[in-house]
Amino acid sequence: MKSIYLIGTPDSGKTAVALGLALKLRQEGFNPGYFKPVGSTAGVLDQRDEDGVLMKTVLEMTDDLDTIVPLTAGSFYVSGQRDPKKCRDRVLASYQQIAGRFDPVIVDGPSFPWVMASFGLDAFSIARDIGAGILCTMRTKSDFDFDAALFFNHYALSKGLPLVGNIFNNIPRPMLAKAQGVYAQLLESFGYRLLGVIPSRPEIHAPTVAEYYDVLGGEILTGEDKLDLLVEDVLIGAMTIESALGTLRRALNKAVIIGGDRSDYALAALETSTSVLILTGGLYPHINVITRAKEKGVPVILVHYDTVTTIEQISKVARRIRPGDQKAIALALENVERYCDWPAILESLKT
Amino acid sequence: MQALTSLFRPASVAIIGASGKPGKIGNIILKNVVASGYPGRVFPINPKETEIEGLPAYPSVTRVPEAVEVAVIAVPAPRVLPVVAECGAVGVKHLIVISAGFKETGAEGNALEKELVSTARRYGMRVVGPNCVGIMDTHTPLNASFAAGFPNKGEIAFISQSGAMLVAILDWSLLSGLGFSKFISLGNKADLNESDFIEAAADDPETKVILGYIEDVSDGVRFLEVATRASRNKPIVVLKSGVSQAGAQAASSHTGALAGSDLAYEVAFRHAGVIRVESMAELFDLALAFAKQPIPKGNRLAIVTNSGGPGIVATDAAEEKGLAIARFGKKTLDALRAALPREANIYNPVDVLGDARADRFRFALTKVLEDENVDAAVVLVCPTATVEPRDTAKTIVEVSRSFPEKPVFGVYMGGEILETGAHLLTEAGIPCYTFPEVAVNAMRALAYYGEMIGARTDEPLPEYQDLDPERVRAVFAAVRDDNRLVLLGSEGAAVLEAYGIPVAPTKLATRAEEAVAIAEELGYPVVLKVASPKIVHKTDIGGVRMGLETPGEVMASFWAVMSNVQRALPHVIPHGIDVQRQAPRGTEVIIGVTRDVHFGHLIAFGLGGIYVNLLKDVSFRLAHGLSLREIEKMISETKAFTLLRGYRGQKPADVGALVNIIARVTRLVTDFPEIAEMDINPVFAYNAGALALDVKITIS
Repeated sequence: MKSIYLIGTPDSGKTAVALGLALKLRQEGFNPGYFKPVGSTAGVLDQRDEDGVLMKTVLEMTDDLDTIVPLTAGSFYVSGQRDPKKCRDRVLASYQQIAGRFDPVIVDGPSFPWVMASFGLDAFSIARDIGAGILCTMRTKSDFDFDAALFFNHYALSKGLPLVGNIFNNIPRPMLAKAQGVYAQLLESFGYRLLGVIPSRPEIHAPTVAEYYDVLGGEILTGEDKLDLLVEDVLIGAMTIESALGTLRRALNKAVIIGGDRSDYALAALETSTSVLILTGGLYPHINVITRAKEKGVPVILVHYDTVTTIEQISKVARRIRPGDQKAIALALENVERYCDWPAILESLKT
Repeated sequence: MQALTSLFRPASVAIIGASGKPGKIGNIILKNVVASGYPGRVFPINPKETEIEGLPAYPSVTRVPEAVEVAVIAVPAPRVLPVVAECGAVGVKHLIVISAGFKETGAEGNALEKELVSTARRYGMRVVGPNCVGIMDTHTPLNASFAAGFPNKGEIAFISQSGAMLVAILDWSLLSGLGFSKFISLGNKADLNESDFIEAAADDPETKVILGYIEDVSDGVRFLEVATRASRNKPIVVLKSGVSQAGAQAASSHTGALAGSDLAYEVAFRHAGVIRVESMAELFDLALAFAKQPIPKGNRLAIVTNSGGPGIVATDAAEEKGLAIARFGKKTLDALRAALPREANIYNPVDVLGDARADRFRFALTKVLEDENVDAAVVLVCPTATVEPRDTAKTIVEVSRSFPEKPVFGVYMGGEILETGAHLLTEAGIPCYTFPEVAVNAMRALAYYGEMIGARTDEPLPEYQDLDPERVRAVFAAVRDDNRLVLLGSEGAAVLEAYGIPVAPTKLATRAEEAVAIAEELGYPVVLKVASPKIVHKTDIGGVRMGLETPGEVMASFWAVMSNVQRALPHVIPHGIDVQRQAPRGTEVIIGVTRDVHFGHLIAFGLGGIYVNLLKDVSFRLAHGLSLREIEKMISETKAFTLLRGYRGQKPADVGALVNIIARVTRLVTDFPEIAEMDINPVFAYNAGALALDVKITIS
């Protein structure tokens, strides 16, 4: 086997695992490459696939980004005047180019494995075409997530695809025991292999203020130098200040979304654990809010849409590891080293 | 604070930015200093002038040949810092920075203000302002401000966070004749704040009453200490704005204050013996009363009136405000009956009838004030045909002088006819109002103050020997390690246990089998409660199962709770389920804690159960300096107390056990300031003992 295909669902952290795995393989003397047949463009400002940019940089790949990520697909791709066959040819040609220079190739799946099935380019079809082994990376935070993992394994097996195994990634602490116990046993009872359970770590899984800014745009009123703060919770300021205080206090490292005219609320939020204030409606806050935010080192982003639109927008925010984020990159490697049976993954590449 | 004496009574004052041009701030200040009759040396500073308003001017404070004690700075903000450094270099003791353009303008101004303070500190100088009107002292006399006018000499110190409020009051006082000892404009309170000036006013022999207009308190704990001490000897009457939501925002935008919770202010003021008023009118009504009248021994009020209706209104107002309508002794009643017309009402309120002239008022007022059951009197005068406004006023003044221990208030209900009499009363130091409610309110404030200074006790909480702070620290550390701020029920129970607070045994189960094992260990019946920092109202989502008697029930309930939670909150992943030994029902009460930005922890006690939010039967105290007696008072203030004492034949509950819990909670939050919120709900109070059932703790 020359390549490993990571499949999973949107928040399962495939790219972080791909990154960690690639770095580990490099340490072990391999020359891994990265390939993402179907990319996505999340940012408002940047139209490139950011995972591709990250891996190209970290793995020092000289290939064009268009080769590393030959296609991108939005949720209306079918209506676009693209020819499925040409798309497929392009994916295969790009893969050939990368596989010619790297060994192994770590293939990163799309948000869901069925994406681009209409073109015959779902993850399983591409895996079959390029002869990749399936590594199912899932965030099993509920029984249904586990069911999905199981289903992907069943499906791959029924298609005759080689199975590398499963990694439960980005597992919230309250679910760790269950993932390691109940799910692990159940998975193995079906004859599938569990290669690791990686706990959720905000340093790598929580989005940063920068990611919010990428999605929301707007104006940074203060704290340009603090965009690397982690956002672990989101609160919407739609209540009186008295009832809000309890909620504000309970949430750690949060983004607080409020109308720009709610200075009282903004000031209260700044007295609690807040990573970013997102002020909506294009209303500039009172000067005290900015002064206090500056003192506290909390970025303030002013957006020009209303609160409802803002909330819709931030559902698109996801943590991406950026090329310069050495801490997250190191952690991605550490996660694979500490929590995964990487020798077993190496072994599967030899067969 | 002795150190501030030289601010109000300096040997010399320099006005930096003094100007000869009329209308300029630097000109107004200089003229004010001179016009106030300030006896010390005055040095105008202006690099472009050699003489201003007939005084030799100096290019810089460093060029003044004599020592400068106070410098008033009125140069544009960007030039303030170098001037401050110069003042420091020549040993100026105090700065009054009039200049605006600091914290109130944003981040840059804020940085400038911080630098201003640190420069002043380096030289050991104290700073009033910046962005203030200045200060005045009528006894020095010194008017180091740009306000128009100078107050009459008096015994009231007025400390104001709003410069506009200060000048408005000043102008009004000139019209009304009320005198002041000091006027202080706080401005941005970069260094000296309300606490410093309350302390200074408390030590000032010329000041009898301290008035304040404040939008926020800079240092809550210091304010409590200073005000508690000062209010022992002098009444402190404060108008604190920002009660309403919009008001809070206006206050917070005004001089850069972060308005804390209004409730906390309410509780803190009561704690410190500060009398809070609701309006500017009330502020000055009370100022007058406190300045001119003695503090009564009690709250029993006598009312003398020449008409029935106003007498009843006054009586109603008195009862509503919690004053007692004095019941006269037999001797008084006999004397009144003997001398007043037969139709007159000799019981309180005493109605001397519409045809009463001054002599009848004199008689009735003298008799009621002689009565030992009377602590104070209000005289209501209506403009009847035979009324003698001036003579009656003189009479009231004379009678009141014979009873220097008992406050007397006049109410002249009318306008033109009564005006001269009303004026006469005010001039003679008898507060005179147009309507009875105002007089009653003033009396209430005096009585409240009297009661408060009489009742002060400061005995601290007992030193408990059975506390285990290490265990609490360990729990908090584990919570932080788990990247949480909210404790699970089992963790909360452990914290209470460590501080000797009786709590129903609670343990966390992550699997159904574990829940059964815990139930076996604790003993049946048990309660299951979902454990998640994300779930505040467990019952609402089916996260609680009670009265479970068998392993089978526990097992089934475990899954039922889990699926209820999943259905209601699909994105929440519970940490597990708390298993608790079910306790017998008692009287439900709640004990809560919240931390205020200014005053620290606020303790709440109230009736528990499902009507908590409806009845709002809750009393509050600050944890700071809370005593066992105050805890008892706090409990007795609530309606829940009636229940606890045994309502309608029920057995009384163990109030002592509740006092013990509140005292230990107070110790816990004092030892662990990181506790931001805590809610013990319910606590079951039994015939003997009490037990905490559920506790939520949020740390920061």
